[in-house]
Amino acid sequence: MEAILKRNRLGQWITELQERAEIYAPDFVEDTWEFAKVGRGATVELNHSNTVRPAKRFVFPQREVLYRFRIENSQSPKLTDTEPKVESTVVFGVRPCDGRAMVRNDRVFTCGFSDPYYQARHDNVVFVGLACNAPPSQNCFCVSVGGSPHSEDGLDVLMTELDGRYHVKALTDKGSDIVRSAGDLFQDVKAADMDDVGNAHAIALEYSQRSISSMEAVAAALRRNFDSPIWDKLARACIGCGACTYLCPSCHCFDINDEVTNKSPLTGARVRTWDNCQFPDFTMHSSGHNPREDTGARLRQRICHKLLYFVETHNMQQCTGCGRCITHCPVGIDIVKIANVMEEGVWQ
Amino acid sequence: MSENVYLPQLARIVHIKDEVPGARAIKTFRVEFMNGGGFDHEPGQCAMISVFGKGESMISIASAPTITDYKQFSIMRSGRVTTAIHDMKVGDVIGVRGPYGNKFPVSDWKGRNLVFIGGGCGLAPIWPVIQTAVANRMDFDKITVFYGGRTSRDIMYAAELEKLRGQADVHLSIDSPEEGWEGYCGFVPANVMDKPQRPDNAIAITCGPPIMIKFVISNLREMGFADEQIYTTIENKMKCGIGKCGRCNVGTDYVCVKGPVYSWAQLKSLPQEY
Ligand SMILES: Cc1cc2nc3c(=O)[nH]c(=O)nc-3n(C[C@H](O)[C@H](O)[C@H](O)COP(=O)(O)OP(=O)(O)OC[C@H]3O[C@@H](n4cnc5c(N)ncnc54)[C@H](O)[C@@H]3O)c2cc1C
Ligand code: SF4
Ligand code: SF4
Ligand code: FES
Repeated sequence: MEAILKRNRLGQWITELQERAEIYAPDFVEDTWEFAKVGRGATVELNHSNTVRPAKRFVFPQREVLYRFRIENSQSPKLTDTEPKVESTVVFGVRPCDGRAMVRNDRVFTCGFSDPYYQARHDNVVFVGLACNAPPSQNCFCVSVGGSPHSEDGLDVLMTELDGRYHVKALTDKGSDIVRSAGDLFQDVKAADMDDVGNAHAIALEYSQRSISSMEAVAAALRRNFDSPIWDKLARACIGCGACTYLCPSCHCFDINDEVTNKSPLTGARVRTWDNCQFPDFTMHSSGHNPREDTGARLRQRICHKLLYFVETHNMQQCTGCGRCITHCPVGIDIVKIANVMEEGVWQ
Repeated sequence: MSENVYLPQLARIVHIKDEVPGARAIKTFRVEFMNGGGFDHEPGQCAMISVFGKGESMISIASAPTITDYKQFSIMRSGRVTTAIHDMKVGDVIGVRGPYGNKFPVSDWKGRNLVFIGGGCGLAPIWPVIQTAVANRMDFDKITVFYGGRTSRDIMYAAELEKLRGQADVHLSIDSPEEGWEGYCGFVPANVMDKPQRPDNAIAITCGPPIMIKFVISNLREMGFADEQIYTTIENKMKCGIGKCGRCNVGTDYVCVKGPVYSWAQLKSLPQEY
């Protein structure tokens, strides 16, 4: 289902949707772009590049209470609150790299054992994508990992900005629903609109991005070089801060811990929080033995997970080329550079 | 209860047995599910044990799959959760979710000789396999069990091992001589070397400290065992047990789902990250 929305009607669409859902859109908060809740009557511009934190938090929040427990004087424990209560949510301004990351997250959380928290959030959120028309940011490389500035994967709706209007394409039932419910705000798509969409998309693809020439060659090189000393060299500057994975739209690792709020009666919650393969205790056994003892082994895990293991398991990279891990690494560790070094074998 | 995979079932501790004393003590806990709960398991599978307020730990299910009234876990005191469970009493309630992981392919081993080689806490994960083999004694040819501890006080399942002697060759060992000890003195791999096993038609199953496993495997190879004839289990730190939290992987494999049981042939093809 496709339609045209005049730019000056975006606000009205959002107002109508606010009747039944919480609306989020990128906003400039405390000097960075963040998905923020849109207040009643607030204007949404959709003129951001990309948010610092990815959209994954709408399906996989940084902290999630799995359930609460309570033990009254040595009676058996009571476990409650197991089903997350999730408000209907519509997220505007999701860039295609974050949309494609959702496809990866779906693989992790819904294949095999289904994760009820992820599923409940996923069922209640509508991702409205925004195609990238402007020249890419300095670390974008979505095309090298099979994406594009107007990829539809993982999104419910894709909007493409045209002169004074948006082309709005619903991609799922959830997407059609939010377009149809405000039907009278939209206009039919004409041939000239489609020409404009085609042009906008073609221009976006002409800009140069950073690039990795062959993902197959990179995967093969990673397989070959597991034991190479290059990893220690590549990781030497890493301070293990974890920014690279916290900010990645497809990093999904988590920890599970008990938070005790009262000792007697014992009351608390079992909580999951984002975790990070760049931290030493991520894999450290209780005996002190650590299968990934140094930063080299941990960087190798991050890169191999994204560009080799996930490909072997799910037939797609677990990286969608958003560039956040490069932009925000305080010491300049760079997945594109590493992929190229691997492929070229320049250190050998 | 709901189908929430993270939600444990409640189980009451009905029996606690001290196996091994000391700083890294081992106790065996027998638990019965409450509220009509429970699940079946295969030999080699594990479960996530919860102590509410402390957290969860992955523990091998040490009781035989045929036992449905209760499950047993032999747990070494190690950190936060395992210490908390060591401090619990009969009647206390824990959480259990599972079963997780793959199994030993016991049914593929019919007609074969089975050689079990365990050390320290490593008898627990292979105990249900031994029980399964013994319960179906006619299905297998020779059954041999090697097991060793540091001292005689470190021998777990001592009484059960004595009972096993009727149906299997049992060779116990301790690291250095003690008065009254009639078994072998020396490390487990040496005990195996001392009583060479014929590789023809045999399967070797080994579990224990990594250093022991390493030497056991090298000795088995020397005796002519092929990589495909040797099975072991690996441990990696685990949180979810269901392939989501992302921490237990060895290369492409999440050990909590694809493991913990591997043939040496399979393990050799994976990166050494365990
Ligand atoms: C497949 C498998 C089977 C196991 N079977 C047994 C068994 O039968 N008996 C036994 O005593 N132990 C077993 N272990 C080891 C046991 O899980 C750890 O000793 C235990 O989790 C340590 O938890 P802790 O809270 O006491 O230690 P802490 O050091 O306080 O650990 C904190 C958390 O880290 C994790 N963790 C730490 N070390 C390990 C580890 N080696 N393996 C997995 N998770 C870890 C746990 O989630 C734990 O809650 C097994 C481990 C695995 C992976
Ligand atoms: S690995 Fe880096 S570039 Fe790739 S999706 Fe994650 S943050 Fe973006
Ligand atoms: S952001 Fe950079 S320094 Fe921080 S953990 Fe990642 S690679 Fe290391
Ligand atoms: S324990 Fe979480 S992925 Fe294996």
